[in-house]
Amino acid sequence: MNNDTKDNVCNEEVYSELFKANSKTVFNYIYYKYGNEEKAYDAVQEAFARLWENCGKVAPAKAKAYVYTIANNLYLNVLKAEKVRLKYADRVKTTDHETPEYVMEEGEFNKKLDNALNGLPENQRITFLLNRIDGKKYAEIAEMEGVSVKAIEKRMHLALKSLRDKIEGI
Amino acid sequence: MQENYLAKWLNNELTEEELAAFKKSDEYASYEQIVGASNSLKAPEFDIDNALEAVKNRRTLNEPKVIGLKPFRRFLKVAAAVAVIMIGSYFYLNTLDENFTTQYAQSKEVLLPDSSKIIMNADSELSFSSRKWDKKRNVSLNGEAFFKVAKGKRFTVSTEQGTVAVLGTQFNVENRDGFFEVTCFEGLVSVTYKGKETKLPAGTSFMVIDGNIVNAEKPNSPMPSWVNKESSFKSIPLKYVLDEFQRQHNVMVETQNIDLDKVFTGTFSNTDTDLALQSISVPSHLKFKLEGNKVLFYAESAP
Repeated sequence: MNNDTKDNVCNEEVYSELFKANSKTVFNYIYYKYGNEEKAYDAVQEAFARLWENCGKVAPAKAKAYVYTIANNLYLNVLKAEKVRLKYADRVKTTDHETPEYVMEEGEFNKKLDNALNGLPENQRITFLLNRIDGKKYAEIAEMEGVSVKAIEKRMHLALKSLRDKIEGI
Repeated sequence: MQENYLAKWLNNELTEEELAAFKKSDEYASYEQIVGASNSLKAPEFDIDNALEAVKNRRTLNEPKVIGLKPFRRFLKVAAAVAVIMIGSYFYLNTLDENFTTQYAQSKEVLLPDSSKIIMNADSELSFSSRKWDKKRNVSLNGEAFFKVAKGKRFTVSTEQGTVAVLGTQFNVENRDGFFEVTCFEGLVSVTYKGKETKLPAGTSFMVIDGNIVNAEKPNSPMPSWVNKESSFKSIPLKYVLDEFQRQHNVMVETQNIDLDKVFTGTFSNTDTDLALQSISVPSHLKFKLEGNKVLFYAESAP
């Protein structure tokens, strides 16, 4: 086997590229799922270490799906019980000319949104956040999750619906 | 409205009519707000470069490939060589006997592996093998030493003149030029001199002067006097007394017109040179001249 060819994961460059392209999303994916930053970081480490160990067996095109599977399976039975409490990095301010009332209302609303997100079923939350935060297309999310695009659309639809229900207190 | 229209709406896949209808609905405003707020969400920090570095480090830790191994091999070679040298020298040093020597005017206490104790008198040499000590308690002696032997297997003191064997006791061995004396202070000592074995019960001595076995005086102390910084003599030829003085005080002795075979009985201090000179010269009717590191003894009658 020639390990130096550009289409082999064992090639340092190919491997680094794969890492740079996917590690952040793997991290976020696990984070959205379990709300545990440390576990998300470990999942990235574990998944990419395994990718290197099996670099000869995994084609670059399959590498992405491979690391998601590893990361996903890692905590399959371990973390189910934990209650998810997501924390987000500082929110990006969209406008800077805001009345105090608006700022307060916005704060209230954000709190409600956070709670609603925490209460979403795991697969809906992942889909919603991957789309909203990471800007992932439905097709990409479908590939990660190993389901159809239609299923992702369904999850997205339900996610929005239940977020609204929860925020409005319906 | 089509299936999953909310997802389609986010993806801009609604038809114009659908979009218009959706915008008119009551819930549109709140969906708009949710989507607006969620746009400002951010995931926690994740440093890709750091994480990549960490994965690579971890990779080298359980690296199954050979690349990184060669420098380690070289290190192993050096380490192995060092280990061999260290182990070798350890065993070599172990086989060497332990040596102790005392200079003139010096005495030394030596503790043996079985906590037997040896006090060495001045100008003496002693050696034993601590590695083989468990099998064979043997000490080689040149000079004079007092032994307090712990009970146990046969304990032997080898000298050029004779061998002393005991089981557990206290005794003194003096092995000087032409002079061999063993004094037993406790227990039973067996002395082999020229193939002949002599048993010494406590409080007796065995003495050989110039090859002749001499009846020695019984010791009257539980320890040789030199242990208490004194040298005692009973009917000992003067030359051995002066030899001992030379050893204890590190002073060169010269004599003039003196009969060195004349016997001397007495004691001299091993610490006070002037007092010792008096102790020797007065009872032997000698005179002495002390000049620096030399002393000359001469007969009183001489000019």
